[in-house]
Amino acid sequence: MGERLSVAVQGFHPSSFLSEETARLRELTQGKKVISAVSGGVDSTVATLVAREALGDNLLPIMIDTGLLRAGEPEQVKESLSRSPTALKIRLVHASGKFLASVKGETTAEEKRKKFRETFYQVLKEEAQKEGCEYIVQGTIAPDWIETQGGIKTQHNILEQVGIDPATTYGFKIIEPLADLYKDQVRSLGRYLNLPKELSERQPFPGPGLLVRSIGNVTKEKVRVLKEATKIVEAGLSPFNYEQYFPAVIENRFAKDPSPKTISETAGEALGLPKSEVHADVFEDRVTGVKGDQRCYGLLAGVKLSEESSETYGWLQDRLRQLQTGIVEKFPDITRVALLVKERRGGGSLSILVRAVSTRDFMTAAVSPVPWKILKDISKQILKEESVSRVYYDITPKPPGTIEFE
Amino acid sequence: MTTIPVVYVKGQYNHLIVRNLKELGVDSKLLPPSVPLEQLESMKPDALVMGGGPQSVRSPDKLTGELADAARLIRQVKLPMLCICVTHQLLATAFGGVTEAARKPEFGPVEISVIDEGQILAGLGPSFTAWESHNDEVVKTPQGFQIIARSSNCSVEAMRHETRDVFGVQFHPEVSHTQKGVDLFKNFLHIVEEHNRT
Repeated sequence: MGERLSVAVQGFHPSSFLSEETARLRELTQGKKVISAVSGGVDSTVATLVAREALGDNLLPIMIDTGLLRAGEPEQVKESLSRSPTALKIRLVHASGKFLASVKGETTAEEKRKKFRETFYQVLKEEAQKEGCEYIVQGTIAPDWIETQGGIKTQHNILEQVGIDPATTYGFKIIEPLADLYKDQVRSLGRYLNLPKELSERQPFPGPGLLVRSIGNVTKEKVRVLKEATKIVEAGLSPFNYEQYFPAVIENRFAKDPSPKTISETAGEALGLPKSEVHADVFEDRVTGVKGDQRCYGLLAGVKLSEESSETYGWLQDRLRQLQTGIVEKFPDITRVALLVKERRGGGSLSILVRAVSTRDFMTAAVSPVPWKILKDISKQILKEESVSRVYYDITPKPPGTIEFE
Repeated sequence: MTTIPVVYVKGQYNHLIVRNLKELGVDSKLLPPSVPLEQLESMKPDALVMGGGPQSVRSPDKLTGELADAARLIRQVKLPMLCICVTHQLLATAFGGVTEAARKPEFGPVEISVIDEGQILAGLGPSFTAWESHNDEVVKTPQGFQIIARSSNCSVEAMRHETRDVFGVQFHPEVSHTQKGVDLFKNFLHIVEEHNRT
């Protein structure tokens, strides 16, 4: 990181970035074979294309099917990247059994993320040994190492920046062509490399995938429901051009402290509503947030307004903002606040949390003003799932939330 | 070319300060606060920007190693200086002010009221929306400093030294959601230019 930051450029120029980076990669790898880890997302795709510019046929792109990607995604990605102009011949490595086994019984976000990281690099280690590769290219970008180094959350692709030497631990060295860039700069580099729009502007997806959107314990049922909800939310929100939008799933188990009564009162005060029109629950499973540059693995409050109030307040951004800050200011252990969109009495034991944000660089994020009617339509479709009884909309910006829930 | 290193104290947005400065044509990179003064001087910097971080400065005698190093830079470096978030608090305590736990911590968007634009907040008044992330706040500014912006929760959102080009801001001008954040950096660059001329 150090030396490359000293290269002073006015803004970001893809052409000069590309010529400097390809020269560095050629110098580093000296004509040897190199593996590139591809997920289909814009970061790893662009990193792979930069590396191919430099290394040509010495670059071997592989994609690991973790079982935690969207429904049908590995095959789709392999197919779409094989076409011109990307024309990447990707080898799929099936490892879903390994990933699911490694997180079995884990319920805390950081443990799940660390187990995922370990499995990810063990699989890469096997592949590197098979191919006789000394180097692995990956699509790490600035927020990945910043958040991991700052202790906010363990991104699965960060080793050296937190003191783990990949060479001694896994037997290969890591190349991160995009480590100093942010998402918008990566997209502009992608456009410069003639990446088709559907790839350069592709919706981001976290490396550990549905693992970190299945809050707490990961079960087959939660992952199944989440895949269905993901289809519904993506179809419903893709026309709006929000930078990120997705659902997460959480179990309906509620904490007793802070008491629902005190939070309901605070929520009512913030909204100027009588107590009878507001009810708040606090989920037992914790969610990740960031307060004052510190990780805050805190509680999630789910607020229900009476039918009439939610119709009125559902789209009033300022009011929602007051609700969220009112609760987070008063209860230091609460990191995030979500508003109930729709529920089904007598439904199953799961809630779905819908999130949509606008962000340039994924370092700060504002809650997107999704029209209430759209949220209700989405919720209605999701509630057809037997095991889901509630659908919420997350009204927490980053900070104090993060973009993902874990 | 103007050279302005950014002191990295492990905050989420320190690297975004570098990005902002580079986009304004400045030569910038992250430096650890432990950088020896001679090494810093050999870079011939025109100014210094200090970022935010997860540490607390409430007890001046119990600073983390990183913040103790940053406080040393604040006291020793005589260049124009912009201190953001935790280093704004550190700037206050290093010169005899007081930082305490905020009565109401601020996370996300906050309305900032400008008291005195001066040069550093030129064009930002009467108010603007800035993004914040802080559990502590400056409750007493040190002697020689003047409060130039506040919010409804926090009485010292920005301060400046009365005679030197030294500034502290509690909010984050470097994040894209802060309105006119870039203007604050442009104002700082003008101040640096003038400083170099005199």
